[in-house]
Amino acid sequence: MEMTDQATPALEMRGITKSFAGNTVLSDVSLSAEAGKVHALVGENGAGKSTLMKILAGVYQPDSGEILIEGQSIRFARPADALGHGIAMIYQELSLAPHLTVAENIFLGREPLRLGPLKVINRREMNERAAALLSEYGFNLDTRKRVAQLSTADRQLVEITRATVEARRVIVMDEPTSSLTTREVEELFRLIRDLKARGLAIIYISHRLEELDAIADSVTILRDGRQVYAGAWGEITIDEVIRHMVGRELTEIFPRRCAEVGKTLLRVEQLTLAGKFSEISFEARAGEVVGIAGLAGAGRTELVEAIFGARPADGGEIFLSGSKLDRARPDRAVKQGVGLLTEDRKRTGLCLNLSFAKNLTLANVRAVLKRWRLDRKQENAAAIEYIDKLHIRPPNPGKTVGRMSGGNQQKVLLARWLFANSKVFLLDEPTRGVDVASRSEIYRAINKLAEAGAAVVIVSSDLPELLGMTDRILVMRRGRIVAELDPQHTTQEEVLKHAAVEETDVQAGSDSPTNFSLSTSR
Amino acid sequence: MSDWIKRFLPFVSLVALCVLIAALEPRFLSAGNLAGVARQTAVITVIAMGMTVVMVSGGIDLSVGSVMALSGVIGALAMVSGAPVTIGIVAAIVTGAACGLLNGAAIATLRIPPFIVTLGAMGIYRGLVLLVTDGKAVVGVPSGFGYLAEGNLLGVVPVPMLIVLLVAVATHFLLTNTRPGRYCYAIGSNIEAARYSGVRVTRYQIIFYALLGALAGLAGSIESARLVTGQPTAGEGYELRVIAAVVIGGGSLAGGQGNVTGTIIGALIMGVLANGANLLGISSFAQQVVIGAVIVLAVTFDEFQRRRLEATSA
Repeated sequence: MEMTDQATPALEMRGITKSFAGNTVLSDVSLSAEAGKVHALVGENGAGKSTLMKILAGVYQPDSGEILIEGQSIRFARPADALGHGIAMIYQELSLAPHLTVAENIFLGREPLRLGPLKVINRREMNERAAALLSEYGFNLDTRKRVAQLSTADRQLVEITRATVEARRVIVMDEPTSSLTTREVEELFRLIRDLKARGLAIIYISHRLEELDAIADSVTILRDGRQVYAGAWGEITIDEVIRHMVGRELTEIFPRRCAEVGKTLLRVEQLTLAGKFSEISFEARAGEVVGIAGLAGAGRTELVEAIFGARPADGGEIFLSGSKLDRARPDRAVKQGVGLLTEDRKRTGLCLNLSFAKNLTLANVRAVLKRWRLDRKQENAAAIEYIDKLHIRPPNPGKTVGRMSGGNQQKVLLARWLFANSKVFLLDEPTRGVDVASRSEIYRAINKLAEAGAAVVIVSSDLPELLGMTDRILVMRRGRIVAELDPQHTTQEEVLKHAAVEETDVQAGSDSPTNFSLSTSR
Repeated sequence: MSDWIKRFLPFVSLVALCVLIAALEPRFLSAGNLAGVARQTAVITVIAMGMTVVMVSGGIDLSVGSVMALSGVIGALAMVSGAPVTIGIVAAIVTGAACGLLNGAAIATLRIPPFIVTLGAMGIYRGLVLLVTDGKAVVGVPSGFGYLAEGNLLGVVPVPMLIVLLVAVATHFLLTNTRPGRYCYAIGSNIEAARYSGVRVTRYQIIFYALLGALAGLAGSIESARLVTGQPTAGEGYELRVIAAVVIGGGSLAGGQGNVTGTIIGALIMGVLANGANLLGISSFAQQVVIGAVIVLAVTFDEFQRRRLEATSA
């Protein structure tokens, strides 16, 4: 690409306003991104980041305002226009074709063709070029594998790679690290520095503010569809960023808990699922919050799914309040008071086109039955009760959950298990993709659960969360529990060391790993 | 606002259609003709009630026409061999329920797409009924049987209309006021979410298909009463009309949406279209073209609405 004048930003959005059905989502928002810089875009869920980026991608047209590329005003009527101007996106919701291979996805729409009248796709060249890109970026993927067979993290890497092929001026990354491991995040950051050096402007959206410390050059903060701050990253502290995002001081992210630890509610013995985890034994008592740490692929999600019965284990035993759970199955687990908050709320959690009230009662419809009949009044009353308890917004029992923000959707799911009178809560990444304010409300709800005598198991990749919220941390590595740590007397570095380093390395006293900068501060 | 349009558009279309036909051909409004329309749409509507349940749960059943023929013939055979009329009707309903149960079991336990399973089942049940009857109509049903299709309660209310009413009220209650109904919408909206909430998805899917089968069996009885024979070729192409009734009435092929009132209006729209075309002397071949176009229109409208909703929710 040609050299750009440093005075003119590669991309500028001026006075963008957009409303849907009378609802103003963006109002007079501006944003500029310079070539060779990483520009952070932050804001709570529902602040308008995604809408702003969809306007940039040509998915939506703004009601007013303009987009300038290298100083020239340009209108994007459709996504192809934005791509044509060298603007590429990595969406939070993965947008890959699952039945095509890694290489086919990377070059989708720009396949290398053979010369000649037939323009046949040159598969060999495509695979070779894809492999070259992946190895240049340090991503370890087989180019011929179908995307459907890849893990979420690997799909994210494919998506990132594809965007780098498309982008000539601007690359937008929307929560690119949400499913990546520490090592992959390191690789991504290295790649981002590379892209900067090539003169691309990068717009980086993330909830993990600590990540931005490592890469951001400047920042724009949105709140309720308005721009509330714009400036250099170095001139603002993380606390100030949070204050701008939520519009108020967050006194305590991790509220204190005073729960009495009682009898054992969940006991797992020698639980094994071939290829995923083996010989897992642990217990969780009433009033206790147990954390499970580990890298992606360590078997944490599979473990809680096995306890819940969604993915039956091959061997081992599960005891609930002392009695053995035969042939685990979700309906039996629910009946016995186990609730699983899954890591993917859209796929396995919410009925998106149903109302909040209907989603709330789904795991315990019995409670709103009068003989055979559903009692709508009682259901609505229950919905209003949980709206108050968890500050669910908007406060409308009939609201379609698909139209709620991510943080509120997560609260709906937590409310579902509260309503089901669960005694054992298995929470898989309970705050992934959740904004700061909802996050602390979720933490408060978790504390209330423990105080009310529930046993809570939290699987999380967010180490401050584990250290701040749990009574014990079990660290999993390659399907086994390798350490049990006391959050009061451990550090993020120590948890990571157990999660990522082979025993032999530790014993040999090799250098402590250097790649663990992820989520180590808040 | 758009929800409102979506709910009332089918009704408004039905009224507009009636007004148009009545203006062109006043005979349309005669009591005899309207009762005829009610009788003709009864069979489709009864099956469409069950189809609404199955489609709300995210499924589909292409075999209903064949199930209807098989059930009608089994019921007729029972009566011809001496069984009383009620037993004949029960036999038809049980046959239909059994067919639906098999469909549901294959779909839910083997996890094969319903479109494929029921496409196969459509051929299987049709083949069975042709084998059983050797392709010939079953004649000699008791004379009292005809009451089911041609009779009038208290001399005015056509019996099939009464049956439709009863089935519709029951289905509406099931979908809106009971736990299985709630699960039906939940499964159709997100089957994995339902499973992870402790809903016994497999069991309920089988129940829904069995219910549809039973209603197809009941419809089979009405149809054989109307024809006064058990016809092995009855109900050909009905699956399309039944699915169209659900879709026109606001049901979604993606599941999670649909309701009884909408489906009834959908069925009536098609019944009135066919009747009006007959009155106006439009050939039945042209009618097929019109009905096909209406289906495409209804789905297009539904799809556009959904996209608009998705855009506003972003």
